[in-house]
Amino acid sequence: MKEWLSSIKFLYEDARHMQILYLSIFLYYGINELSWEVSTLQIVSVIGSTVGTQMIWTKITGGKYNSWKSALITALGLCLLLKSTSLLTLILAAVLAISSKFVIRIKNKHLFNPANFGIIISILVFQDAWISPGQWGSSALFLFALSVLGGIILFKIGRLETSIVFLGSLFLMEYFRTVVYQGWEMDVLFHKFSSGTLLLFAFFMITDPMTIPNARKSRVIWSLILAGATFFLTNWVQIYTAPIWILFFMTPLTVLLDKVFPQTKFEWIKPIKKVKVHHGSIIKMNEI
Amino acid sequence: MKKQMLLLTLLIAAIAFNGSSFCGFYVAKADAKLFNKTSQIILVRDGDKTTVTMSNDFTGDVKDFAMVVPVPTVLKRNDIKIAKPELFNKLDAYSGPRLVEYYDSNPCMRYDVDELMLSADYSMAPTSINSISSGSTEKKYKVTIEAKYSVEEYDILILSAKESGGLKHWLIDNGYKIPDDAEEVLEPYIKNDMKFFVVKVNVEKLDKIQGISNVKKYIDVPEGEGSRTLRPLQITYESDKFMLPIRLGMANASGEQDMIVYALTKKGRVECTNYRTAKIPTNENVPLFIRDKFGKFYVDLFEKAHASEDKEAIFLEYAWNISPQFPGVKCDPCVGPPPIYTDLLEAGVDWAVQNGQASSDVFFTRLHVRYSRETHPQDLQFHVTPNKEHFQARYILTNPATGDLSCDEGQKYCARKVKQRADELENLHELTSWNTAQYKDYVTEYYDKLEDPTLIYKVDGGKKHEIVPPVFPGDNNDPNRGLKIGILSSVLGLMLFIFFIKRRKWLGQGLHPQTT
Repeated sequence: MKEWLSSIKFLYEDARHMQILYLSIFLYYGINELSWEVSTLQIVSVIGSTVGTQMIWTKITGGKYNSWKSALITALGLCLLLKSTSLLTLILAAVLAISSKFVIRIKNKHLFNPANFGIIISILVFQDAWISPGQWGSSALFLFALSVLGGIILFKIGRLETSIVFLGSLFLMEYFRTVVYQGWEMDVLFHKFSSGTLLLFAFFMITDPMTIPNARKSRVIWSLILAGATFFLTNWVQIYTAPIWILFFMTPLTVLLDKVFPQTKFEWIKPIKKVKVHHGSIIKMNEI
Repeated sequence: MKKQMLLLTLLIAAIAFNGSSFCGFYVAKADAKLFNKTSQIILVRDGDKTTVTMSNDFTGDVKDFAMVVPVPTVLKRNDIKIAKPELFNKLDAYSGPRLVEYYDSNPCMRYDVDELMLSADYSMAPTSINSISSGSTEKKYKVTIEAKYSVEEYDILILSAKESGGLKHWLIDNGYKIPDDAEEVLEPYIKNDMKFFVVKVNVEKLDKIQGISNVKKYIDVPEGEGSRTLRPLQITYESDKFMLPIRLGMANASGEQDMIVYALTKKGRVECTNYRTAKIPTNENVPLFIRDKFGKFYVDLFEKAHASEDKEAIFLEYAWNISPQFPGVKCDPCVGPPPIYTDLLEAGVDWAVQNGQASSDVFFTRLHVRYSRETHPQDLQFHVTPNKEHFQARYILTNPATGDLSCDEGQKYCARKVKQRADELENLHELTSWNTAQYKDYVTEYYDKLEDPTLIYKVDGGKKHEIVPPVFPGDNNDPNRGLKIGILSSVLGLMLFIFFIKRRKWLGQGLHPQTT
């Protein structure tokens, strides 16, 4: 019982622990239940290159941004979303994803969601990678689990409103177009939303606290813009992986919104208590 | 943005009165019995240009044939063609699921028999069994006739409508019989400003084409059901939507319908974006008697695979580079001749030959869709992926060694054969849910040959046929390899550069990196 409690505590003390666990479960489900064409070699290479690149950059930059956990999340995100028959493309996606975190920065904050950056660059530049939006099927149980687990993480890190605003406004727009205007039945609408790729994106990618606006007000505006653009691109330009592209190109907006509504940057592990030690230095309790 | 972009792409509406239909929307002019169990479609996609060829297996009286095909634009005369029906047979025969046979050599005799690969007669293939392989304004109706063409035996009208009720009544008043609830399904397409491509058969022209108009002057030839073949219609349009409308075809059809899609692209495989694209189980060892039951075997296999995917996945049955210039094998084993460039041109692959040079970029995908109203509420949307990995649905038969097997090695062979055959039956059960208890004899045949039955404890399962993965382009012939290595080296270079700059800074400050 005690062990159980301590493992739950371990999961809850850093949202990244939960994220790693959940993304691993999804990957396991994809490979074993949905028989994705993802080989062990691909997974090992992607994880190896992300964590490796993270370590090298950390070393070079003097250990400033030591977060192998984030690197692992990026690796899992890549394994879940990016497909390629070329191993080199996957490795490069991983290396570029992590490098973007260290190279493309403004005001001590990296601009792009690393996994998103890796995915877009490899699709655009190498021409042999793709996203399979239909790969999850629409198994209700899985989609429910995905949303609940994602919701828990977002609740913990205080970014739940981003997903809710995004999904809610997209749903409303689609409802008016599909059901009210075009006259399709409700199950057509539900089928559009029972996409694992959309939910994974909504709960695990756009909510990356490091690359979305810091202030709540900006996040709501940001989500509304994202939803509007997704609605437009999906229905009029037929880009079925629209959110992933929009997230990439919306990056400047994050910088702008952070300027308009300034707020302190997110920290994965919040300082619980600051203790003044007699010789004057401040130590964060949970980093000891 | 062009207006067309806002439109729903090709919607081929089909309402079948008996049995199933593809998105094709066969409208009966009278209460004729129409059969359209499995439809076949060839989709050619290059950029925003799509060419769709629809097989026509209409079997009623041709006078009753009519088809409504919603299209994104008013098609020009040149956008409509007639294709050869043989094209479908060829693509089907080439890409259908297949059996491959191996022959065991007799371990008691000292010679090697080469492995032979024999293709199963594709006439046994499921495809065939399941026939898978198989201007003026009418103000009152708010229906506009945008264009009128006569294309060989077909009379074609292109209509646009303002509301589904008007279109429905126009069709009814012009002698078409359409299902009651077609109106609801037509509505969303009208809202998307689709045009409707209405096809009828011009019987006089058909008689001329088939050379019986003179005969009819003297003899009253009766019209038999399915006695006249209607050729496939092919249409080409530009639209960024790459989809197949299946909803209209479900307007009154109950139950499941099958559709085989043969897709041809420059880049690679086609997959569905709003339903899962799964691979059909392949490369399984199956019992020898499957040779005579291959059709039923595959039908049941498909049924089970489909059920295990909640009846919603789209199945990949074949994927191969069929470019005229592709140096590798075009199938393994081949069950039908691979399509040649004339077939590709016929299908609408206009890049198959350019400047007298055969293309090296024609990728073929065969998808098998089984859909129903409950499981597939949305029309099928596709996208082209750069995935050039080859795939085929094939099942392996192993012919046993012949002759005397009484030597020691022969006895071991028999013991292994017992195990292999039991495994084959288990595979069969796994794939099709057949009750395999009735095939006990298949295993005992070799068990009875054992002088010492305990030998089966002493041998392992024996070698399984190595499944040689079909040739697929790996990193070796990757045209972007140089670029990738270049980028990777640049990142490493950048890392080194920053490292040295920082190091100099640290050294200048007399600090060790770890202490910063």
